[in-house]
Amino acid sequence: MAVTDILARPFASWSQQKRQGWATILVAVAFAIYPFLTDDDSNIDTIANAMSYATLALGLNIVVGFAGLLDLGYAAFFAIGAYYYGIFTAYQVMPHWSSGWEPLAAVGLVEKINQGGGDLVHFTMSFWLALPTGALVAGLFGVLFGAPTLRLRGDYLAIVTLGFGEIVPIVARNAESITNGAAGLNGVKGPTIPAWFGFEGYSFGVNATPYYYVGMALVAILIFSSIRLRDSRIGRAWMAIREDETAASAMGINLRNFKLLAFAIGASFSGFTGVFFVSKLQVATPEMFNFSVSSMLIVMVVLGGMGSVWGVVVGAALLQLLQTWILPRTTDVIRAIGETVGSDFLMSADLVQWTQMFFGVIIVIMMLFRREGLIPATRAQPKLEMEEQHADVKRGGFVNVDRIEKWHPGTGNALEIKDVTVRFGGLVALNKVNLTIPAGGVIAVIGPNGSGKSTLFNAITGLVTSEGSIKFEGHELIGLRPDEVLARGVARTFQNIRLFPKLTVLENVLVGQHCRLKTLPFGAIFRPPSARAEEQGALRKALDILGLFGNRLTPRANHTVAGLSYANRRRVEISRALASRPRILLLDEPTAGMNPNETLELAEQIGELNAMGLTILIIEHKLDVVTRLANRVTVLDHGDVIAEGTADEVQRNEEVLTAYLGRAHRAKIEAQDAAKETANG
Amino acid sequence: MISRRSAFKAAAGIAAAGTFAVTEGAQAADKTVKVGMDLSLTGADSESAIRVGNGAILAFEDANKYGEVPGIKFDLVKFDDGTATAGQYDPAQAATNARKMVSDKGFIAALGPQMSGAGKAMSPILSEGNLAIITPSSTNPDITDPKFAAQYRPKGKAVYFRTVTTDAYQGPNMANFLAKTVGIKSVYILDDSGAYGVGIADSFQKRCEELGLKVLGRDRLDPKAADYSAVLTKIKSLNADGLYYGGVGQAGVKLAKQVYEILPKIVKAGGDGIYGVELLKGAGFPAADGWYASNASPHKDDGDKKMKEFSDRFNARFKGSPDDYTLTMYVAARAIIETVKVLQAAGKPVTRDTVRDGLQSVRMANSLIGPVEFDENGDLKNKVISVFQVKKDASKPLDNMDDQFAYIGIAPMS
Amino acid sequence: MTSGELFLQQLINGLNLGAMYSLLALGFTLVYGIMELINFSHFNVFMVGAFIALGVLRLMGLDGQNVILSGLPLVAVILVAFVVTMFSTGMIGVGIERLLLRPLRAVTGPAAMILTIGVSYILFNIILIGVGGDTRNFANPLPSVSWHFGEATLRLRDVLIWGITIVLMLGLTYFVQFTKLGKGMRATAQDPEAARMMGVEVDNVVGLSFFIGSALAGASGLIFGLYYNYAKVDMGFSAGLRAFTAAVLGGIGNVPGAMLGGVLIGLIEAGSSQLIGQAWADVIIFSILVIVLVFRPAGLLGRQAPNKS
Repeated sequence: MAVTDILARPFASWSQQKRQGWATILVAVAFAIYPFLTDDDSNIDTIANAMSYATLALGLNIVVGFAGLLDLGYAAFFAIGAYYYGIFTAYQVMPHWSSGWEPLAAVGLVEKINQGGGDLVHFTMSFWLALPTGALVAGLFGVLFGAPTLRLRGDYLAIVTLGFGEIVPIVARNAESITNGAAGLNGVKGPTIPAWFGFEGYSFGVNATPYYYVGMALVAILIFSSIRLRDSRIGRAWMAIREDETAASAMGINLRNFKLLAFAIGASFSGFTGVFFVSKLQVATPEMFNFSVSSMLIVMVVLGGMGSVWGVVVGAALLQLLQTWILPRTTDVIRAIGETVGSDFLMSADLVQWTQMFFGVIIVIMMLFRREGLIPATRAQPKLEMEEQHADVKRGGFVNVDRIEKWHPGTGNALEIKDVTVRFGGLVALNKVNLTIPAGGVIAVIGPNGSGKSTLFNAITGLVTSEGSIKFEGHELIGLRPDEVLARGVARTFQNIRLFPKLTVLENVLVGQHCRLKTLPFGAIFRPPSARAEEQGALRKALDILGLFGNRLTPRANHTVAGLSYANRRRVEISRALASRPRILLLDEPTAGMNPNETLELAEQIGELNAMGLTILIIEHKLDVVTRLANRVTVLDHGDVIAEGTADEVQRNEEVLTAYLGRAHRAKIEAQDAAKETANG
Repeated sequence: MISRRSAFKAAAGIAAAGTFAVTEGAQAADKTVKVGMDLSLTGADSESAIRVGNGAILAFEDANKYGEVPGIKFDLVKFDDGTATAGQYDPAQAATNARKMVSDKGFIAALGPQMSGAGKAMSPILSEGNLAIITPSSTNPDITDPKFAAQYRPKGKAVYFRTVTTDAYQGPNMANFLAKTVGIKSVYILDDSGAYGVGIADSFQKRCEELGLKVLGRDRLDPKAADYSAVLTKIKSLNADGLYYGGVGQAGVKLAKQVYEILPKIVKAGGDGIYGVELLKGAGFPAADGWYASNASPHKDDGDKKMKEFSDRFNARFKGSPDDYTLTMYVAARAIIETVKVLQAAGKPVTRDTVRDGLQSVRMANSLIGPVEFDENGDLKNKVISVFQVKKDASKPLDNMDDQFAYIGIAPMS
Repeated sequence: MTSGELFLQQLINGLNLGAMYSLLALGFTLVYGIMELINFSHFNVFMVGAFIALGVLRLMGLDGQNVILSGLPLVAVILVAFVVTMFSTGMIGVGIERLLLRPLRAVTGPAAMILTIGVSYILFNIILIGVGGDTRNFANPLPSVSWHFGEATLRLRDVLIWGITIVLMLGLTYFVQFTKLGKGMRATAQDPEAARMMGVEVDNVVGLSFFIGSALAGASGLIFGLYYNYAKVDMGFSAGLRAFTAAVLGGIGNVPGAMLGGVLIGLIEAGSSQLIGQAWADVIIFSILVIVLVFRPAGLLGRQAPNKS
């Protein structure tokens, strides 16, 4: 943040939004007037090229920065966009003319040509049509390449994408009839603006300036889209996947769809760029898209800051200008100095040959000392006021409860677990477990460590495969994905807290609402009134839920959760689960690690949730909490249900006492009982 | 790299001594004209790019030193079309360089690029600016093909000149040579996936089919792979008489080594892509021994002497021996110098327009690569293809081209 | 050449390639096994190793293909070359680990991997600027002994490369499985924190794994040079990428898996050169990789590890 901080200092009185707005306008104006300030076409061209790489970096940032999917073959999509436009304008694929082509000729997509011999079809796709369709085609390939990689962990994903990155140029080189192979396409057209009501039409030709403005528009559009996507349901889902796939899935995010969506949108950005780039260059050769390009794009994204929209644009521009502009110019200057002072050493300097070396050093230094990049994605955390820092510690559960909609638990059983067995290899983690949770009740599961409690939760929420039957409100849950389970109304927390560390408190809670929201990429980018209303509703609801905890969370809504206290992270996790509007809440040791006061406070709050009509299944070690909250208690040991009953009953169950509470405790209880009996008798 | 200072002094001294055709003012100041040189100086092939560029450096340094064109001083400006992003030559950067040259009216002509992909990106821009470029090594015929004139020279006039023949002659003439002079009956064809290699192998193959020379197969090598033994085993199993390789040294060197191991008896031949020091240095003997290589120029008896003289000069200046594209680059630079000399002698202004027109009619009867004249498309008029064969001469330096490549004769035109 | 001989010869060719890829894959897999790090600098440590070996052989008077040795001098020369090359690249590896990667050990995410891309650029350019980009002729002191099976030929160097690969693999397996340091390595791979608590010097173990991995890369560079008789600055990427693919295919982190993957890829490459064309070999290799990983996400011999996240 350092650079921007220093720049922002004189304008500290302005609001952040105002500062950012003006800075954006200033940058845009500077770029818009630049071509008028130079008479050197190559400067304009250099910047136009840098813009191409900025758009590529923006696309890669969606995949790597937002969704955390390490793609080492991103140049493949660039190639696909480029060849798509190239092939449909060049004199390469020319089938024989037949009358079937006439409708296409009428709309200007093809023309009839004759190069001696029969009539041939020459494709003449308009640049303006190719831009969106090129994005679409690249996006389809994104899905195609993404699909086999969905199950792969990060490093395997990297190598498979690298493979795709190798395959595409090889195909381009060897499929000569379509691509003209290594020699490159001939006759790729530059864009034209057709004549229009007195405007006589304009052909871009080889003049760099019009491409510069198209490039600038592309960068602007893609920055805008990236920011809009980032700040939407979609972007939050991607970042949740990046931070913790399992938790993201359990919070209702369909991993498959959203990973594919990231691949598709990322690829479509580079499809855009491919069309633009090849129309400017008017040639496409397979060498333009090799691994070097993919790896350099990764470097650009890393240098700028992964997940940081402005960062990657700056990173791409810097690296591109460094090699094509800054180093050559510096070389000239050094040589000029050398000529003046008569130093042969300086005169023979050639920094350009050292470009790759510089890049290597830059990468190493950045990784060692500034991993978040030049402009980090995580924003600075606003400092808290004194009174905000001190929570108004009072017992008595939630505040502003009336802002939260009540639940209507209905009657009968909410959750019916029958003969559920979970095996890990030879180990039976759950053995024919039966458990019934009545609607509106609070059921506790206890048992020693390793007895299968968390496995039971994982089985219910679809994180492990299980046999038997788990019915929620009459619907079978086994076989559903975690996100489908959540959508049915079964939300959970995790024993070891699985929040999304780099997201803010508010964003974490918004992710919880994912399955209740509908915004798709179109809505996220263009924000029609319905999407806007939905987002505002979600925001309000999230704040209401955070508000339940008084001023414990509300002042910290914009802090990343990584910096929160342990207890507050527990609260955020519960808030996140509540945000999904569950019909049953599964709490896995919610008070673990809390001090007695906090424990009591949370227990009261859980009771209050139940009073509001929410059914609760809780794993808990602290017996006072269990006793206080649970209607009934189930005890697990080594995957078997060994007892069931009220808290009092199970505390007296012999098997439970031996298995769980230990012999000493058992002796104590027995002694108490004996004392009571003596007293009564 | 360029130690220009001494050249400056010498040139200035000569100019001062024989003041000639000073355009204005009392001072005898030379007019400096810029010549751009676009090479791929970034990436794994930068060393050979430097060697190619040295040809032009030598030509212009000498011209300046000896005041060959009175009143004119040449300033050779190097451009790198390689980028770290591409890891090698980058057509986008080549296009930027072309714009840079076009924007600066001081540039009267240009040299390069090495690769056809870069040439395709540069040619339309240079045509708009009417700036002539002479390539020492890009051989893809499309760029100068009149069929694609609208694409590569939208202004009509040829701007893309070459001091190498396109793939259209070397391949077929070598096919003639192998079929008629050597007398092989069957051949297997390989290329190295590059624009040059594919083109020359295609034209070779086409001619073989016309001649009835049996083509047993055609394969494409991955130039970055290390091992071609599987392909060569396949060729061995087909009992081919001959092997033709279209491509440059990168794959050629490795191929030569492995051919020697697996197919020791086969007749092996290639284009000018392997006619160079890289084969001698990289593959060495005995692997390089016996390879035929074509070169697109007539070989003269006195050529040896001239070549020797050039080699010595080159070695004295750059510590190393030139290879074939150094020669074509040197000759390209000479063509520009000759053109400017003619213009200056005729009292015509030296601008990019006059230089372009001048190149169209320049004649160098006796250059290092034979007679140089350009046709209306910018291609060499001379289509004579010479054939050389590597024959080890242990008494001479083993990495010197002139000593180890023995001249065999002119390849039959038909 | 009969089709049987052809098959035999292509089998030999494929196994040669496979041995080369396996050797290089061992280093990848070792470092990955310990640190879960895709080490891109390995590509160019291998390349630097080849150049160091080239220099060492040249210092011993072996230049080009003219000096053929046999008997004790051959063994001595090769041994010296191995020791010097492996020690040098090993130290390069240790240097990379100690100076650059150690500060990143606790950092999650792709930072360390990206750093190795940077290191790879640096190594590449040290050779490119310092030595040059041309193909260099690599000394070949091996006598040209060969055995013939019909028209199929098995050369001494083929046998040597298999032998060295098998010896190194067995040695590495023994080391990892049975020695104290090896056990420390495996413990570190499982859980560095627990290993530290049980008295394993994790820093030393990681450093050692880098030393061994890089020394193996150096050995591969030397063997590559002796086998193909050339060294070029860009030799690392193509061979390294296939070796890495081999490691993933076999199950990254798994020593026999690297070997299996290497041999498979060598055979696939030879087969596709025979049947389809070498230019398509990469397409076929990567397609097979994708198919294997779709059905066995941890590779052929890899542990189907539970999701670590």
